[in-house]
Formats: sequence, C-alpha cells, structure tokens
Amino acid sequence: MKTKWFFVTAVAAAATLMVAIPGAVARPAADPGVGRTSITIGTTLPLSGPSSLFARIGRGMRTYFSYINARRGSDGKRGVYGRQIVLKVYDDQYNEAQTVQQTRRAVEQDRVFAMLGGLGTENQQAVRAYLNQRKVPQLYVSTGLSEFGRLIKQYPWTIGWQPDYVQEGILLGRYFRQNLAGARVAILRQNDDYGREFVQGFTSAAGAASVAATETYPRNGGATVIPGPVARLRASGATVFLVVATPTETITALVTAYRLGWRPTKLVNSVGATPGFMAAAQTSAGSADAVNGVVTTTYLKDVAAPAYANDAQVLLFKRLMTKYAPGQPTNEGLFYYGMAKADFFVQALYRAGKNPTRASLMRAAVNLKMNSPWVLRSSKITTSRGSAFPIRYQRLTRYNNGSFSEFGPLVKTR
Amino acid sequence: MRRYAPRIAGYGALVAAVILLPHLAGEFRVTQFSYVGAFAIALFGLSILTGITGQISLGHGGFMAIGAYVTGILAVNHGVPDLLTIPLGGLAAGIVGFLFGFPALRLAGVYLALATFALAVIVPSVAIAFGEFTGGTAGILLDLPTSPVGALTPAEWLYYVTWAIVAALFVLATWFVGGKRGRALRAVRDNELAAVSSGISLSRYKTLAFGVSAFYAGVAGSLYAILNFIVTPGTFPVTLSILLLAGLVIGGAGSFLGVLAGAVFVEFIPLYAGDVLGPLVDLAQRLQVPVGDVDPTTPGVPSVVYGAILLLALIVMPNGAAGVGHRFRALTKRIYSRLVISNVGSPPKERGV
Amino acid sequence: MLVPLAIQWSEFFQQVVFGLALGAVYGSLALAIVLIYRTTHIVNFAQGELAMFTTFICWSLTTNHGFSFWPAFFLTLVIAFVLGFGIERIVIRPFEHASHLTVILVTIALFVILTGLAGWIWSPEQRAFIGPFSAKPFNIAGVAISRQDVGVIGVTLLTVILLWAFFRFTKLGLAMRAAAIGPGPSRLLGVRVGWMYATGWGFAAVLGAVSGMMVAPIIFLSPTMMQSVLIYAFAAAVLGGIESPVGAVVGGLLLGLGTTLLGAYVGFVSSDLDLPIAFAVLVLVLLFRPAGLFGRVVVRRV
Repeated sequence: MKTKWFFVTAVAAAATLMVAIPGAVARPAADPGVGRTSITIGTTLPLSGPSSLFARIGRGMRTYFSYINARRGSDGKRGVYGRQIVLKVYDDQYNEAQTVQQTRRAVEQDRVFAMLGGLGTENQQAVRAYLNQRKVPQLYVSTGLSEFGRLIKQYPWTIGWQPDYVQEGILLGRYFRQNLAGARVAILRQNDDYGREFVQGFTSAAGAASVAATETYPRNGGATVIPGPVARLRASGATVFLVVATPTETITALVTAYRLGWRPTKLVNSVGATPGFMAAAQTSAGSADAVNGVVTTTYLKDVAAPAYANDAQVLLFKRLMTKYAPGQPTNEGLFYYGMAKADFFVQALYRAGKNPTRASLMRAAVNLKMNSPWVLRSSKITTSRGSAFPIRYQRLTRYNNGSFSEFGPLVKTR
Repeated sequence: MRRYAPRIAGYGALVAAVILLPHLAGEFRVTQFSYVGAFAIALFGLSILTGITGQISLGHGGFMAIGAYVTGILAVNHGVPDLLTIPLGGLAAGIVGFLFGFPALRLAGVYLALATFALAVIVPSVAIAFGEFTGGTAGILLDLPTSPVGALTPAEWLYYVTWAIVAALFVLATWFVGGKRGRALRAVRDNELAAVSSGISLSRYKTLAFGVSAFYAGVAGSLYAILNFIVTPGTFPVTLSILLLAGLVIGGAGSFLGVLAGAVFVEFIPLYAGDVLGPLVDLAQRLQVPVGDVDPTTPGVPSVVYGAILLLALIVMPNGAAGVGHRFRALTKRIYSRLVISNVGSPPKERGV
Repeated sequence: MLVPLAIQWSEFFQQVVFGLALGAVYGSLALAIVLIYRTTHIVNFAQGELAMFTTFICWSLTTNHGFSFWPAFFLTLVIAFVLGFGIERIVIRPFEHASHLTVILVTIALFVILTGLAGWIWSPEQRAFIGPFSAKPFNIAGVAISRQDVGVIGVTLLTVILLWAFFRFTKLGLAMRAAAIGPGPSRLLGVRVGWMYATGWGFAAVLGAVSGMMVAPIIFLSPTMMQSVLIYAFAAAVLGGIESPVGAVVGGLLLGLGTTLLGAYVGFVSSDLDLPIAFAVLVLVLLFRPAGLFGRVVVRRV
C-alpha cells in the first residue's frame, strides 16, 4: 500500500524533471533571435477555429520571406544582409489567453527577435504591456484600432500598420454625407472596440442624426447571431446598411438582407469586404444583387481587380504565390496583405543596420520613410514618432459584377 | 515509522522536484508549471465533485471564470493587491457553486451534466453582457507580475506562491474527503438510494461538494488570471471545461496524485499537440510509411493529433494514470510471486480504483 | 433600444418563420442526440461535428463531383448512415463497459478529431453552401417570407415523420425499440443488440446530416459551424426530455422561436444574451419539471 505511493510519486517526480530539463536555456549573449546567418521572428494568428481564414496572412508573409531568402539583394547577399528570415507562426485561436501564452513562448522559450503582424485587436492589446516591458518590438499589428498608433509614446515598442478604423469610418461617413444625405442608416456592428471606433468615425462625418438604428452582435458569435439583428434593422425602415463586422458575419448580413427582400445601399468595412467574401455572399444568395453596389474603403492594391491586372507588384504577388504557395487562390487579398506587411518588415530590417538590435529595428520601423509599391498608387510611407501610422492613404471602392473598382480621390488619413 | 518511510520518501522526492524546477528549467517552462499548479487546484476541486461525490460537472471553467473576474475587477478597479484577491475569488465561486447545488439536487445524471455545461456556456456571455464591470469582450488587463523578493524573478515568485497554495489546498482536500464526511460523499457517488436509507442527507452533501469544488476552481481561476495577466470571456471557454474533465479522467478520478498528471496533460497537450506531429511524420517517413507531405501548421492538424492522443489515452488508460500505477504494480507483484519459490500463496487481489 | 409600440405584422411573420426554421434545425440535431441517448444511454458530444462533416461531404459532391443538390443530398444521407454505424462499431464499442465519464470523453475526442479532420481536408475557410431553395422570397399577403426558411421547416419535418413511421411500423424499428428498452430480453428473442445500437447511431448521423445541410446555407459551411447549433440542440433535448423524441423536436422549435422573438421584441435583449437566456429558461424549466417537458419523471420513494 505504501509502496504504491512511493512508486507513483517517484514516477511523477522523475517525469517532472524529464519534462522540465529540456526547457532549460543557455544564457543569451546579444539580442536574442538574431544570429550570423538567420533572424527569427514570430507572429500569432488564428490557425484554427472560426477566424482561421486569417491564417492566410501568415502564409503570405512566409511566401514573401521564402522569396527574400532565395533571391540576391542589391548587396549580392540572400536574405537581409545575408541573414535568412525565419518566421514562426503560433496558433492563438483568436483567444487572448492563448495569445498571451504563445507570445510568451515565442519570447521566453523560442527567443524570437521581434513579433510581426499579430492578429486581433484584443489579442494584441493583451500582450502589448508585456512586450513593451521586455522591449520586444511588436511590429505592424494586424488590426486597425487607432490606439496602436496613437499610444506610441506610452508603448514605444508597439506600432500599427494600416489606416485605423476611425479614419476608415470617417471616409465612409464623408461618402454618405456627400451622396446619401437625408437617408437613414441602419448599423450592424461588432460589440467591441473595433465596432465602436469605426462607428464613431462614421457618425462624426455623417452626423449622428442619420442613424436610424444600431444593432450589435458579440465578437465570435458566429453566423447564427446575425439574422435576428438584421431583421430588426430592416424593420427600422433605413435605406442604407452599414456593416462593421468580420468576414463570416459580413457575408451572412448581406445574404440575410437580400433574403428578406431588403435592398439598401450597402456600406461595409474593409475587413469583411474582399472580392472572395463578396463572391461567397453572391453565391450563397444566388444573386449578384446581394452584393452589387457595396462601397468600402481600401488601402492596398486589389489583386482581383482588372485595373491592377498588369501592375508589377500584383504580378510579382501572383508569381510568388504560384512558386511558393501552389494550390492557393491567387485572387485572395489576405495573402497580399501578408506579403505587403512582410515587405515593410524587410525594409525596416535593412534600415536597422548590418547588425540589427531590437532597438535599432524599432527605430527604423518608427521612422520609416519610403514609397511602397504595395499600397495604393505606390504612395509614400512617412512614419515618425509624432505620427505612428505607416499607411496613410485610402480610397473608396465599389463592388460591381465580380470585382471592385476604386473611385474618388486618394485621401490622406492622419 | 518504518511503514511510512516509503511514503515520506515519495512525497519528499516530489517536493524536491517542485522546489528545484526553476533552477533547472527556463523561464517559460517555469510559467508553464505554474499553470500546471493552477490546473491542479481546479482538478482537486473537480475530483471532489466528480471523482468522490460522483456528480459530473462540465462547467468548471465557469467557476474558474468567476474567480478570475473577481480577481480582475478587485485588482484593477479597486487596487486590491492581486494575491489577496485569490481567497475572495475562491469564495465568490464557492458561493455560486453552493447555490448551484440546490437546483442540481433535482437533476440527475445527464441532466446535471448538461446543466453544468450550461453554466460553462453562460458565464462568458454574461461577462460580455455586463461590460461596464467586466470590460466586455476586451476583458480586464492586469498589471504585469512583479516579485517582492529580490532573489526571485516574477515568474519564479509566482511559481512558488502557486505551489505553496497547491500544497495547502492538497492538505485541505485530503482532510475534506477523509473520515465520515468522505465516506458519506463516496456513498452518494456509489448508490444514492442506499445513502439516503443510511441517513445521509443528499442535499447537504451535494451542495457541500458543489460549493467546495467551486471554491477550488475559483482559486484556480484567480491564480490563472494573475499568471496570465488578462481575463477575457474567451479565457475559459467551454473547451477548457471539457479539457479539465479529460484531464481528470486521464489522471485518474478520485486519486489526488493522478490529478497532478492530469494537470500536466491539461497544460501541455493543447500547446504541443501540433509539435508531436513533426517527429511522428519523420519517423513514418523513415519507416517508409506513406504519409505524404503533412505540414504541421496546416489548420486542423493539431486538433486531429490532440483528439487522437486523447482517444489513445482513454484506450490505454481507462482508469487514468493512477490506474496505470496500479496495473504496473500488480504486474510486478505477479512477476515477483512467480519468481520467489516460497509459501506466498496466490497474489493478493487488487482493489479497483 | 425602444420597444416598438405597434407590432409590424409583416416583420413578425418573418421573425416567426425564421425562428421556426432555426428551431427545426435545432430540433433535428436534438432528435439525433435523443435517439442515441435512448438506444445507448450515451450523450454524444460529437453529433454536431458529425453533421458538419457529412455536410462537407455533400458540398464536395456538388462542387467537385458534379452532382446536383438532391442526388447529393440522398447520397450524403447514405454515407452519413454508414459513418455513424461505423463509428459506433469501431470507436464506441470498445468502451462498452467503461464508465460514463470515459464514454463522454470518447465522444469529445471524436468531436476534436472530426473538427480537425474537416479543417485539414477542406481548409477552415467559410464557404457558401448552395441549398436547393431559391433565395427569392414567397409573397404571402404582401409579406416576404423566405423560401429558404419554409423549405428547411418542410424538409426537417418530413424527415422526422419518416423516421417516426420507420420506428412505429417496421420490424427493424420494433427491434431497435426493444433493444433500447431491454437489451437482455431482446437478445433472448434473437435481436442482435449490438447491431441495433450501431443502426441507432447510423440514423442519428442521418438526422444530423439533414440538420447540417439545412442550416449550412444560412450560416455558411465551416468546420465550426455546428458548434453553436449543438449547444442549442442540447438545450432543446434537455428541455423536451432527453428520452423523448417528440420533446426534442418541440423543444427545438420552442427554443428557435423563443430566442428569435425575444431578441426581436424585448428591448434590452441584445444578441449577446441569446444563449444565456436560452439556458436560463432551460434551467428554470428543469426546476419545475426535472425530466423536461415531455420526459418521464422517475419517482423514487425512499
């Protein structure tokens, strides 16, 4: 009887030690993650679960790094200054608690040099204080919440990438004011900072009085929580429908509206409005009327639009996709998003010097000034400590008969 | 005294392993084992409810969430030092659990399991709905951990605090399920009818079991919130409640030391399920088994591996890791008695778990 | 949000029809759960994922193999039956004598594996699932009623009635009922109880497949699409009485209708609270009728 306890506890102790010891790490010398021949960075993305569509961003980043690692740069060396870029992708399942654990794993165990393009507003907020405390660059987070740019003085190791939600909301709000004034808007938004911020921007430009009704749905609620609110919004009698949601919910909202016989003017946030999603909505509703006329904002070149069919960058994108990610759809904007972001990182890394440190990388990223061929009209990127919003220009674009076409002027955000 | 020597040696080895770990392992591993400690506490509670009293609970994640939110709200909104919030978190969860015990009296078997499942589902939604207190979907961000002891890093400090709590609550749990009360609880599990006929009050013991196990889960949740420095509705999803139950079965329901094995399972399997695949694929390729080009980062693959591991564990160890210990011991005993030619007689019968 | 003072009847009917359609989906999955529980006393947590998996198969048939919808639908039902049957024999059967807890965990392991497998084979992205019903609404007395919703209600009810007729009027159905009530005596009478269990799982898989194929056009096909449906189906099954098939269907319809109308007409109820309210109602019902609305209460006098 007593020997049972002895045996079990001895086994447990041995097992514990066996698991624990391999986790021991050598004392680090220079900045972790950067060696003579390689540099290791990490990202957290939802690889599984409802938002796993966004895993394509990671695939796009990896594809681009494969290209950079294989080609010779202007200094004749492969990679960046002869260092191969290794991207470690961690699955956080869009769950902030997992993001924390995986980020800690990346930093403490795998000793990555920096975190690039982590996805999710709440997810990146969760690890921001931690990464800043450890002075690990939190670069180009994949979310448009404005505070990722606004709070750079408080969190000097964190920087966003895309035009923020307030600015996108303002652009759509201006469109409303100039073309649909007098109409009433029904708003469906996600019940979190993303939804709130976007609508705040929209109403600041469109006027709060224009809103007939607002419905929210819970983040991660899935498609079943959409039809109810959409029916209620329809009953408000509004003739404009603003959808601030993530992909599945956006598609469901558009299809439900169509099924209920509602034909409003549709304004959609860019997160849910790629050509792929529009096509899915059209197929599901069985009619192009469900999606024709959707107006949204954009800041990257559209890989599926005829207007960009001969654009050098889009052609490069398609070539790289075919070579390094065969079998994947080449008209999917999320891959392009990942590649563009990866290129920003490469540019910043070059500017961080031949022997980059985390501090020099962060300095380079926060002071990045260049023309990027990936964004609209290859416009200028001018980041600075005073204005930490890298991508500055956006434009309205409308979906019709299978593709988006931009219209209106190129608008500077902040 | 000699009778207890093996037991003391065993426990001593375990305690030594726990104390030594931070000096041997890297920082992240230390934090992971702190999580293991928190899960062990939750599993102690679940063991009391499900293993000892026989009430299946699929909702322990919900009780953990209650503890975690109490900690978050008190620590961030009211400036209470985080460690002090732990007993409060446990208490809040314990009260809810105790109250839950009353309607649970009227439910049996599968209905009870589903009612607890409902709890696990409802708590995150309630947290979202009452956003002004709970931070809604964004949740509550706690301060990063600090260490009041200069010689220890924050991770190490929290690790020792966690395991001190584990030890204390282990002693408490052992006392709780001992003696007359323990027999009453086990009687409720084994045969309710017989228990009632013997004068055991079902309502008293069931509500007690719910309350105490919820208290444990609440403490675990509070600790988890401090370790993870964030509480969100998504921190304790339904899948966690299920994972806890899996950990209990894998470790061995009713055996406290098996609980530790279960806690290790709960912490490490989700993180490393995908990583197991890489070496497996290499091995298969070396053995010329056609597995094709399986990319471990392909979405879905980690889940398949995790599920397969779970199934495998259930097949191989239906009584959990503690059961493995029993079976191994039975095997060695049989070998011993066959080798030794003396008047040993037939091998003693093994008692089941 | 203000409660509208005058109820717009057209909107009301749309909400009712949508609620019933959703309820039909919950009900058919709930019926599958009840079927397995009645025959084998197992709560099958993998029911939803099995439904999702078979729905993917239907999608694959129509997209990659050129079937049109209804042939693919029926072929999928056959495949679903075989899958359910096979899973019971191969995965569940070894755990025949294990504890309740262990069996629950086996079904949970199945849940995890099926979700992962679907994501692996077909990738986790959401895709449109084209149902057989056109999206053009019916026009009844000036109200636009979704053709989709009506079709879902119709197909589900038809399936349920057919299954009921099977159990009531065929020999095999009788044998299955016998095996569920008394496996011992049934064996003595020559009923192959093990095969009856497997057949039960097969039919449950068929019900699940119907549920999945009906709901997929509404909520989009993805590996996780049935997870919330499963939660509601459990609630419906318990609400109706876990051993009552009628209860499962009625419970499903009530839940679907209830959550839709509550959300539409009670102001402070936002979508966030759909699920908690459904479960709060469930717990309340259980307080007064511990065996569900149609369940048999087993009274134990001590």
